[in-house]
Parts: sequence; structure tokens; C-alpha cells
Amino acid sequence: MFVDARTLPLKFVIDADICIVGAGAAGITLARDLSGGNRRIALLESGNFDFDADTQKLYAGEVVGQAYTPIDRDRLRYLGGTTNHWQGSCRPFDALDLADWPFGVDELEPFYRQAHDICQLGPHTFEPLDWSTDEARPLELGEGASLRSGVFQYSAPTRFGTVYRNDLAAAPGLTVYLNANLVQIDTNVAGSGVTSLEVACLNGKRGRARARYYVLAAGGIENARLLLNADRVQKSGLGNEYDLVGRYFMDHPFVPLAATIVAQAGSPQMSFYDHHLVRGQIIEGYICASDEVRRREQLPPFAIGIRPAGVETTAGVAHMKLPPALHNLMSENFADHLTYYLPRWLDRLETPVTWINQRLWRNPPGAYTTVYTCGPEPDPASRVTLINTVDALGMRESRLEWRLPADFERHMQRAHELLAQELGRTGTGRLRIESSATTGYDPVKDLGEGHHHMGTTRMHDDPRRGVVDADCRVHGIDNLFIAGSSVFPSYACDDPTMTIVALALRLSSHLKSAPG
Amino acid sequence: MKHTHMRKTRRFVLACLACAPGLPLMLRSSSGFAAGDGGELNAATLRSLVADPRRARILGFSYRAQFPVEDYPGVLTDLIRSSLALGDSGAAALNRDALLSVLDARVRSEFGAGNIVRVDGWVLARTEARLCALCE
Repeated sequence: MFVDARTLPLKFVIDADICIVGAGAAGITLARDLSGGNRRIALLESGNFDFDADTQKLYAGEVVGQAYTPIDRDRLRYLGGTTNHWQGSCRPFDALDLADWPFGVDELEPFYRQAHDICQLGPHTFEPLDWSTDEARPLELGEGASLRSGVFQYSAPTRFGTVYRNDLAAAPGLTVYLNANLVQIDTNVAGSGVTSLEVACLNGKRGRARARYYVLAAGGIENARLLLNADRVQKSGLGNEYDLVGRYFMDHPFVPLAATIVAQAGSPQMSFYDHHLVRGQIIEGYICASDEVRRREQLPPFAIGIRPAGVETTAGVAHMKLPPALHNLMSENFADHLTYYLPRWLDRLETPVTWINQRLWRNPPGAYTTVYTCGPEPDPASRVTLINTVDALGMRESRLEWRLPADFERHMQRAHELLAQELGRTGTGRLRIESSATTGYDPVKDLGEGHHHMGTTRMHDDPRRGVVDADCRVHGIDNLFIAGSSVFPSYACDDPTMTIVALALRLSSHLKSAPG
Repeated sequence: MKHTHMRKTRRFVLACLACAPGLPLMLRSSSGFAAGDGGELNAATLRSLVADPRRARILGFSYRAQFPVEDYPGVLTDLIRSSLALGDSGAAALNRDALLSVLDARVRSEFGAGNIVRVDGWVLARTEARLCALCE
């Protein structure tokens, strides 16, 4: 059932057994999975069914340090959350990705299987050879090679608020409160248990939500902001006894044009590492280090994709740009969907678009460029803090300081050197590493980010090293849990959504068995 | 905005390609040779294996600047010959297709063993970089 919180009485009270804050991938997954039992579930969503500019402004904040997209633009604050402009890339993390986590990949495996279906992916395989075709096949790297191939599957992409809206409406025991913003978390005097949440609407209505258990599922920046703003009992913020909340923020740096490859024109080995359709499923191959090389050379998890030079595959672009005059003629939500789906539709035409593009730009045959992304080492100085500016509901806004490690460029170059060696060894082609020192072109200047907000409430068994424990419960607080990528203690090299969903299912399983 | 980016990408790639060819193009195919099979493996023979001497010269210039101790045709020739481990009689026994094949295998094995050098950003096997350097 959906309820517009703005229509509730002036000092409303929401009573539930479990109260979830945020209806994005994590919150919706949790709510759907928890509903149907004998527990009452309340899901609080700040936004409505569609984009609203005033609600979106609640995400405003400051960015310092490394250049970053304004934080009220790379997230979306309405039903479905940021999945409303999610690109759809999915892959389960592997054993080495989870080396710093309190549990291994076996623990997540059953939840990944469910997450796979929730994210509406194709066959349950990420084995490159299973996706090999005559037109696009992985490099033959062999057993002892320094690199290996992997595969991302692309979700439709699943807009959680759209795809699961009917489920949420019909789920027994579940009420979704729209336009309901969490503005304060109240605890007992000792700060060891949450007693209620203060909820506010932009129309001035205020109320409370009371539950046995609370889950913050508001996103990687917002989860930290909510805890830091909850400073009535613990002045440094809830769960922040050891000054960890907001620290270790990380995103996946994304470097286009990191290197140039010259290989045979139309090479199937090059085509594999770009977005392409295989039996109706969009996939993208990537190249990464073998586990042994990653350990030996202390490299971060990285992924290298390959694109035909000069041709942007539209599936790789989250949104096309509309002229402002045209954009203003339509609602933000419609524009958002149009600018997302149109390029993907065009991409499905594949051959004509590529043909036109190639003739338009007369690309040099056999020239390719690489795109590089990685999951850098966690850095406590890369962080979310609060500033004194407050939003329309009186909450202090966030300041984001994203830092990249000093060895980021060196690692990127080493990854490409390894790729160059494999291309040379297999006779596939040659590679030129771009850098300001050697070629005058500095790819790091064009660095972007994946808009994956991770790490700010990291998971660790030791409260001195993590904000939440292995069950995603905030250390020292009996009934407060966190869902989403803010709990990641390390970041792998890919889109976190599938792992967010798997972790939400795992948390749901834990909450189902928790005392009522 | 996207088109601007594409133009920028294209200009960037063309600039890269203007500086140096990709090395699959570096070794001249057998159709490029008319005579001389079975000759001595000297600097001229080695140079004749390079498909695009003009572009190879650009890379070769950079290589020689990076490794001035090798900046002599005799030194480069000796180094390439010893890396191929053929000896004079072995080299003489090879026709050019076979020589290309030996070179290709050597280059691949150097890539595999990490015996590489970075020249103007290009990651090259040591022997192919020396071949470029011979094209002065």
C-alpha cells in the first residue's frame, strides 16, 4: 500500500515492526522480501513516484578535492532512487574482491542468485566463454597469463520503482510512505537503541515512525549524512564513536582514452570488450588481472574495456543530452527516461548506427581506445562530512571530499602495460599508453566517476575499524541496521547494484530470524 | 557535446597513429620481398623487414635517445642477431618468410617474458624497438 505522508495528520505516528528508510535498490528489495510474514513493514521514501525538483534539492551539498559531479545530480530522490538512471551493469564480486570483508563469497552466493533475477539479467553465467560468438570472443589468454577476461551483464536496466511498484502496492503488511523524509534519529539516553525516527514532509507536516528495527537504506552519501546529523546523544553522530562514519568514501574512477590499441579492424577479440548483444542480452567483456598478479603486484581490482576509436557505444553512455529548449518541454522524469532509453534503443540497431558513425567520422581502421576503471584502496581521508548549510527541512548538508590514491595513475599504467604484453604475446595488436609525460595527452584529466557511492559506513567485526558489523548492524546500537554500498569495506571494480541487492536479501534473512 | 567529444576522440587517435604505426604492421609480409633469400643477416636485411620505415624511424629516434649506448647500427644489428640466436650460418639458411617467422616468435616471447620497452607510450618488444632504431 502507498500512502502520501503529506496527507497524514499534523503530528502523525507510523507504527511498524521494521522501518526502512529509502526506497532504492536496497530498500525496495528489503521491503519486498520482508513483507508477507507476520511483521508490519514501513518503507519511508523521501520522494514521490516521479522526480520533483524541490525534493531533489534536499540532496544538495558541497564537493571539494577531486572533481566530482554535484551530489544533487548524480543521485535521484524518488521511488526507485538512483536506479532511475542506473546504467545496468552487473557482476557478482569474486573471492578476491571480498578478501577484506567479514565473510566470503560463499556466504553471498545464494543471495546473488536471487539478486540476478531481481536485476532482470540473462542466463546465470558470467563465464566469458559462455558468451563467446564468432563476432565477439575473448582473448585467448591461457592459464598462466597475467590477465583474465570477465563479463558484465547489463540489466534492462531495472528501474526498481517502476518494475516493483505493483509488488510494493500489493505486498501484505507493507506500507510505503511517500514524501516522508527522515530528519532525526532518536535514541535512548545511552545511545544503545533507536526509539523513533523524526519524519518531515516538505509541506510542513511532521511526525514519528516507531519500530522494533530500523534500516537505513538511503544511499552511500545519505546514510552517513543521516548518522552524522543524529547528534542529540552522541555529539559526533550516531555510530560514530571512533570517527568512522563518512570516512572511506570511494567511487570507481573511470578513465576514457587511457590507451590506444592498434589491432585488426573488426577484430572479434576487440569487439568482445565493448557492449554487445548476445542472444538478446547486452554484455560487455572486460580485462582484469589474474588473482596471482593482483596479489603479487599489489594492484587494485581493475577492469579495462575496449571501444572502437571515435565511436561511443551508446549503451555505455548513461544519458544523452537534450537541447535545453527541448528538455524544458517535458517533465524531468520523461526526459530522464527518454535520454536513457533512446540511445540504448539506437544501440540495439547496432550495425546501421555503427556504420553511419564510422562513415561520419572515417575512423582509422583497427584503432581502438581503452576505458579503465578500478576500485582503489580504502582511504579514511576520502570522506563525507557535514557543513553548516541546512536544507529545507533543517538538516545539515553533506560535504564530499573524494580522494584518489597517489599511485592511481601508476597502477593504471601498469594494468595497460600488462595488457600490451598480452596483446603482443598473442599477436593481437600493440598498445600505446597515454600519459602527459610520454604523449602529451593526460587521460587522468578526463577522469570521471561511476556514481557509485561506497564505504562511508564500512563493515568490520571490530567497532574500531567499521561502523557496522557483519550483520550490517551499527556497532553499539541494538536495532539499527544499514543496507547499501555504504557498508562495503572494499570496492571491487564494478557497479555495486547487484551486490547491494544481494546484501539486502542477506540482511532481510537476518531480520526475519531476529526476535520480534 | 557528445559530437564534440567524438571529434576530440578522433583527433586524439589520429594524432597517435600519425606518430607511430601499430606493430602488426611493422613486419613486412613476404609479398614485399622479391629477392635475396638466404642472404646475410645484416642491418640492410633487417631494415628490409620493416613495413613502414618512415614511421619506424620516428619510434627509432626516440628509442636511440632513450638508449644512447645502442645508437650505432652495428651494435643494434649485433643485439638483434644475438636475440634471434641464429648465428651466421643459421641466418643464411633461412628465407625471408622463415626469418619473419623467427622474428615474430622472438617478439611474442619477449612480450611474454616482459622484455619490453616503452617508446613514446607504445609498449614494444625489445627486438622490434631495436628494429625501428635501425631505420635511421
